[in-house]
Amino acid sequence: MDSFIQLLQGFETALTWWNLLYCLIGVTIGMLVGVLPGLGPTTATALLLPITYSMEPVTAIIMLAGIYYGSLYGGTITSVLINTPGEAASVITCFDGYPLAKQGRAGTALGVAAIGSFIGGTVSIIGLAFIAPPLAKLALGFGPPEFFALIVVGMLMVIGLMGKSLIRGLISALLGLILALVGMDTISGAVRFNLGQDFLMNGLDFVTITMGLFGLAEVLIGLEERMNAGKPAKVKGLLPRRDEWKPTLKAIGRGTGLGFLIGLIPGSNSVIPAILSYSWEKKIAKDPSRFGKGAIEGVAGPETANNAYSGSALIPLFTLGIPSSPTIAILFGAFIMHGLTPGPTLFQTNPNIVWAIIASMFIGNLILVIMNLPMAGMWGKIAMIPTKLLYPIILIFSVIGAYSVNNNLWDIWIMFIFGIMGYLMKKLDFPIAPLVLTFVLGELLETSLLQSLIYFNGNVFGFFQRPISGTLLVISLLVLIISIFTSLKKKRGILASDVEM
Amino acid sequence: MKKKSLKIAMVGLFLLSLFTSGCASQTNSTNAKQNEKASVKFPTKPIELIVPFAAGGGTDLVARALAESMKSELGKDVVVINKTGGSGAVGMNEGLHSKADGYTLTMATREIVSLPLLELAPFKTTDFKFIGNMNRDPALLVVSTKSKYKKFEDLVDDIKANPGKLKFASSSTPSLYGIPFAQAANLKFATIPFQGTAQAVVEVLGGRAEFGLYGPGEVTAQIKSGDLRPLAIMAEERLEGDLKDIPTMKEKGVNVGWAGTYRGLAVPGDTPDEVVNVLEDAVEKAVNDQKFIDFMAKQNLFIDYLNAADFEAMIEKDITALDPIVQAANEQK
Repeated sequence: MDSFIQLLQGFETALTWWNLLYCLIGVTIGMLVGVLPGLGPTTATALLLPITYSMEPVTAIIMLAGIYYGSLYGGTITSVLINTPGEAASVITCFDGYPLAKQGRAGTALGVAAIGSFIGGTVSIIGLAFIAPPLAKLALGFGPPEFFALIVVGMLMVIGLMGKSLIRGLISALLGLILALVGMDTISGAVRFNLGQDFLMNGLDFVTITMGLFGLAEVLIGLEERMNAGKPAKVKGLLPRRDEWKPTLKAIGRGTGLGFLIGLIPGSNSVIPAILSYSWEKKIAKDPSRFGKGAIEGVAGPETANNAYSGSALIPLFTLGIPSSPTIAILFGAFIMHGLTPGPTLFQTNPNIVWAIIASMFIGNLILVIMNLPMAGMWGKIAMIPTKLLYPIILIFSVIGAYSVNNNLWDIWIMFIFGIMGYLMKKLDFPIAPLVLTFVLGELLETSLLQSLIYFNGNVFGFFQRPISGTLLVISLLVLIISIFTSLKKKRGILASDVEM
Repeated sequence: MKKKSLKIAMVGLFLLSLFTSGCASQTNSTNAKQNEKASVKFPTKPIELIVPFAAGGGTDLVARALAESMKSELGKDVVVINKTGGSGAVGMNEGLHSKADGYTLTMATREIVSLPLLELAPFKTTDFKFIGNMNRDPALLVVSTKSKYKKFEDLVDDIKANPGKLKFASSSTPSLYGIPFAQAANLKFATIPFQGTAQAVVEVLGGRAEFGLYGPGEVTAQIKSGDLRPLAIMAEERLEGDLKDIPTMKEKGVNVGWAGTYRGLAVPGDTPDEVVNVLEDAVEKAVNDQKFIDFMAKQNLFIDYLNAADFEAMIEKDITALDPIVQAANEQK
């Protein structure tokens, strides 16, 4: 009750004209950088951080936080329209969002994503406001072994998203794992596969790889298809059909829970809840074959999950003083720059600031959904921009995005190389998503495995002596064994049969 | 209607691309002109300050505060640019190979010494000319307040009683704090490396690792909230401010010198002396600026000003100090 009153006081601060204006500016910038493939929230907050130097602390952080959660709304748009994810969490959205757009239902996909994002985002902020401290303490129990087990589950789910050919999918997934090895090994500090180049010392960057594999490859393939490949269908309504409402809302509910829980774990990323949510939806769907061809739940679940993730990922920051992702690390820097130390004491020393920020996030989410619903139709029309205009735009933004990662020209070359690789993969019918997903998870997998083994003194069975990691690993093992067994019997495993999309 | 909204969208995208490319190209334009030999007339245009680490981190904060204060000294903008990659090697290398006219400064952190020693950088530490040091933070040893360790001795005794059993959550690889601590006190403990302090602190808070060694500014929140207990610092002298009661390891009988990080300024080796003098002067005035002092104090970042000659001497001393640590790290590989 106490926090409720404080939250109301927070609204009082957040609703002043000035703060409202900067909240609007923040979420609008967030939306736009989300839309632009490559230019992510991390870059945007970093660019704007110095500008906030002279602002009031509350106003500055309200704006920067707006960029952070606003970008997740925008990330969906390019996934759906041009099959190029704006950020890591939206890779999954391409699966069903793009087919929906091809059917002329881009508006529906975006509308559902906006509604889901709003629900997921709002629920997780409620969680942040009222039940954060006990949850954060619980999440502290989640160490490298648990992390490793969770990623194993995620990897297993990737197999379920392979596309038509399991073998091709596995090759692509393995390529992703190998690429994740490039750069410095966090445990020994040894540098691997960097070809003697310093810019590769920290490994490849997700943004450059995705821009190349998705964006550039899409352009190259498109050029081959002589520019005017059929007229896209008309944009129909923003809302799902009547019979789609129920499954959609359920998917949003599940996505919210999943995203919220995983956001609590420091060091996790938004890709994990998105993968898990998509796989979950596909598993429980009456007709899993719809997935990959434009299933609304396949957009609703993951998009909700990554927004719920974004809200609860702030819980470790507010309750423990720990920034759990690169963008939040910049927010952390913003607090510090304005003389505030994020962490549990902030609730005591500057309660009005904390609660004003939380209140502003409710307002920001509301602004975003109001902005997005009508705009979804407008964005949908972008799919009709003639390709001779659209392709140069994609190209320009891919180059800018790749450069902005490290302010380094090398990244642009890397992006071009991956563009050619993506083109070849598409020509040879290799799915690209497994590569990107295993690349994101691969580094976490390796580091958490090695860290756990140091904890266990090299004893692999240590994983099974801890309740959470033990349970997760046993389940993964069982699923694997059953699917191998059945595939031997029927020549088609459970996992493999799902695969036919 | 269709056409109109399409146009709006296109114009919007175009404006945004202008905005973003504007932000990016700002970086390059400063290098282009200015060929004349820099005389006393310096600076005549904005100065670029390369931070080889991400925005929002400790080095970035010091750089931005310094840039603000130097700006009022020099009368020209000092623009901070984050060039990340290679644990700092990429940004430092770029700073080193920029035009030696004083218009491109580089934040010189301890990595400017450690990376070449670890053979992870394409330059030598001595390729740079050093302008001055602004900040020096010792490593602070912390444990969870839920743990049984109330004093530094409690922890050391427990490590000695259980060799190799206790866990140290390191914020980097190799641990430039953990190795000298182990060597000086002749201790054996398991080092678990994490990428950055945030992840490592979670291990100490979660009780999986017994202790950690971090910069004081990085754990301020957890110390203030009573989740972490500081036990000792790795320095010759005690700190000032909130942490003045924390003993040094030396006081406690562990013969370990200073370990931690420092943040200064460097320029390419053949930068003319006149320019270096102007910059050195500006840095000295900036660190005495009340705005800078207040900012640093708030973040638990400790000001330790050294002029060009002293900073260079300190760097040379650090090369000798880090050498055995790097040797030990290479053996562990």
